[in-house]
Amino acid sequence: MSETTDQPVVETPQGAGKPDMIVLEGVEKIYPGSEAPAVSQLDMAIPQGEIVMLIGPSGCGKTTTLKMINRLIEPTSGRILLDGKDVTHVNGDQLRREIGYVIQQGGLFPHFSIADNIGVVPKMVGWDKQRIRERADELLHLVGLEPSVFRDRYPRQLSGGQQQRVGVARALAADPPVMLMDEPFGAIDPITRDRLQDEFLEIQRTVGKTIAFVTHDLQEAVKLGDKIAVFATGRLEQYDDPNTILTRPANDFVSDFVGGGAAVRRLSLLELSRLELHPIETDEKAVGNSNGSPVAEVDASGKPVSWRHLPGADAAGVALVTVPLSGTVYDAVDVMLDGSASLVAVVDEEGRPQGVLHWNDLVSGLRTRERDA
Amino acid sequence: MNFLDYLATNSQQIVFLTQAHFLVVLIAVGIGSAISVALGLAVSTGEPDPRRFSLDWFATGIREGGLVFTAALLTVPSLALFALFLPITGLGITTAIIVLIIYTLYTVLRNTVAGLTTVDRAVLESARGLGYGRVRRLLTIQLPLAWPVILNGIRVTTLISISIAVVGAVVQGPGLGILLLNGISRIGAANSFYQVLAGTLLCLVVAAVFEIFFAIVQRLTIPRGIRV
Amino acid sequence: MSTATSETVDLQAEESVEEVEGQQGRISSLWSQHYDLVILPAIIILLLLALFLYVGTRQLDSIEQRVLAPDNVAGLLWQQILLAAVSTVLVLVIAVPLGIVLSRRGARRAQGPVLAVGGFAQALPPFGVLLLMAFWLDFGFWTAIIGLTIAALLPVLRNTVVGLQQVDQSLIEAARGMGMTSRQTLFRVEIPLAVPVIVAGLRVALVLNVGTATLASYIGAGGLGELVQQALRLNRINVLLVAGGIIAALALLIDWLAGVAERVVVTRAG
Repeated sequence: MSETTDQPVVETPQGAGKPDMIVLEGVEKIYPGSEAPAVSQLDMAIPQGEIVMLIGPSGCGKTTTLKMINRLIEPTSGRILLDGKDVTHVNGDQLRREIGYVIQQGGLFPHFSIADNIGVVPKMVGWDKQRIRERADELLHLVGLEPSVFRDRYPRQLSGGQQQRVGVARALAADPPVMLMDEPFGAIDPITRDRLQDEFLEIQRTVGKTIAFVTHDLQEAVKLGDKIAVFATGRLEQYDDPNTILTRPANDFVSDFVGGGAAVRRLSLLELSRLELHPIETDEKAVGNSNGSPVAEVDASGKPVSWRHLPGADAAGVALVTVPLSGTVYDAVDVMLDGSASLVAVVDEEGRPQGVLHWNDLVSGLRTRERDA
Repeated sequence: MNFLDYLATNSQQIVFLTQAHFLVVLIAVGIGSAISVALGLAVSTGEPDPRRFSLDWFATGIREGGLVFTAALLTVPSLALFALFLPITGLGITTAIIVLIIYTLYTVLRNTVAGLTTVDRAVLESARGLGYGRVRRLLTIQLPLAWPVILNGIRVTTLISISIAVVGAVVQGPGLGILLLNGISRIGAANSFYQVLAGTLLCLVVAAVFEIFFAIVQRLTIPRGIRV
Repeated sequence: MSTATSETVDLQAEESVEEVEGQQGRISSLWSQHYDLVILPAIIILLLLALFLYVGTRQLDSIEQRVLAPDNVAGLLWQQILLAAVSTVLVLVIAVPLGIVLSRRGARRAQGPVLAVGGFAQALPPFGVLLLMAFWLDFGFWTAIIGLTIAALLPVLRNTVVGLQQVDQSLIEAARGMGMTSRQTLFRVEIPLAVPVIVAGLRVALVLNVGTATLASYIGAGGLGELVQQALRLNRINVLLVAGGIIAALALLIDWLAGVAERVVVTRAG
């Protein structure tokens, strides 16, 4: 493993301490009949246990790159190392049994029960029936599907989101160290997708796989990725952690790709719990004090219901909107826009007010708490 | 003597000819389907790479050519095929079965090819991604998923074969056609009409028996997850 | 198919200098799209050639010479074509309008049974239908026509109903949404879009009728089946082979013509 670190690698900003699990060396793919390579001279290393998001416009070579790792597409030249072992010329079918693979539409076998779908690879590599069954139940549990309910069902009896969970479980079945995911949540509705992404991060915390993940959704890349690899027509333009990609794009292509929305997208990286918020008062007497803090009316359980006093504004004319402390600035902006309010009360899990975020803060600069800086 | 009396008095002959008809169709469809499905499996390997020469080229050629050729055979009137095979295979059951086999080829081959090639690409790709080799993919994923379509092809071809087998009587093939030829040659004589009527209607009885047979086969062989 | 027409239009618009080139491009694109249409005529020609060579090498006795005399064969061939053509026209005149009626809202409930019965009726032997007609109406040409028509009716009806079902519902909705009456929708949207289906139905009817028309000789309506019958009666293998060959070649040719017609219509419509 360690001997690969001296190979030409684009950039490994963090995680330099972890050994590289997947290494691509000068990998190139030229499809028959076309002049230009779909992927040209790619060098890239994915450290163990990290999620790397491959992103770029369609036709940029991100999917080709992913599929060359498990050799669904044979590279024209170059080497691919998996855990330090050159896999460029080993038996492709054998190789793929050792790499988890999840695709967009789930690709579950419609004529196999859910448990049989999950047991596909373990069965091929010769596990006994008892062990396969136990493993299927364990994985169903992991992806949040009750085994007794789901194990004997068939794919078409499941919703898209449930099918995709089974797809992930199937990829994890033989406990492969590496997982490849090709837009796994691409065909799922936004609300379910959001939940699946959260669950996916939760699962990754337990299993700690090395994951290459193709997406076309920058939001998803920022949310899930330890690193993001931005591709343009067969070339890797930038390979960095999400924050660096958004704040310091390496070139015009990346900044164009990240686009004008970059500043907005960054908002979803900022957690409210890490911000210095303005104080909020709930005490009636505070109104007279006029120390500049907004005062909220609270109900019996301590939840704010309306504004009693707002410095420099008519309190009755402004709706009181709240956002949970666990959310991000993005959520706060969303709530403010939605309620046409110029400020938002940030509340804790019990719904009690913890502070206020002003619309003006977004412009004048958000202050993070010192201890986190 | 009415129709029922006719059926009652000649029940032995009628039952025998119905059974013979059923068996001739069963044998012909069985052999023809086996040939077509095997051929379909062999030639549905994948699209050939236009830049590189491979076995896929032969497979695609045989597939497309086979479909055009068998479709053409299906349009040839049965009387012509019986006439052409008679000098080679002689009068009787052999000629009848060979001609019927020829008529089963197209429908089953077409449905086999269509069934195998229209399997959801996502399913095939994930099978590859999980380490399924070509043969394993063909036999454990494509074939079971294509099976309803293939089976329906066999069912349709069976119905067609029942009515073609009637003409086999011209070359002294066994079955209900014998009642028809006897009846028409004795037109005007007693019961000649009933003979033709019985021969025609009993074809529907044979068809009904096959329909029940296929309903059972469907139940038993179509995997639970894709049953409609 | 649509690419063929648009390409043609583009090519015509080009400069006259490039016309020769364009002409070649058009021919080669026509070839690449329709090369499969050459296969069948090749088979037919080979079949007839083999037949001629075979008959040429044989010494025909007087009976064979009489049966295979050009006059005799041509007459039977004409009868055969007439039988197939007339019955096909009748089938179309009856089955296509009936199929359209069945696709109307009020009659749609009858579609299911029609499709089911139509599928099952494939097992009803046309030969039997033909013979039963003879008992009912006596021998002869028109009896055969009626028998042929009845035998082909259900399959073609079934085809038409399925074809109209496949017309994109959203197009019909769009037409209604633009204020077309249901009659206008039928004649300006549904039927034009169903033309390929109707032509396919014509092809099915033709193939079926050419096949069944060979059996018309058994009820005295003539046709090429007569040759087969005579060959069997006289036990003349040469006649049998010639008869089988001619019938096969005719059926293939008619199917090929119908196929070409279908291709032309689909290209226009698509």
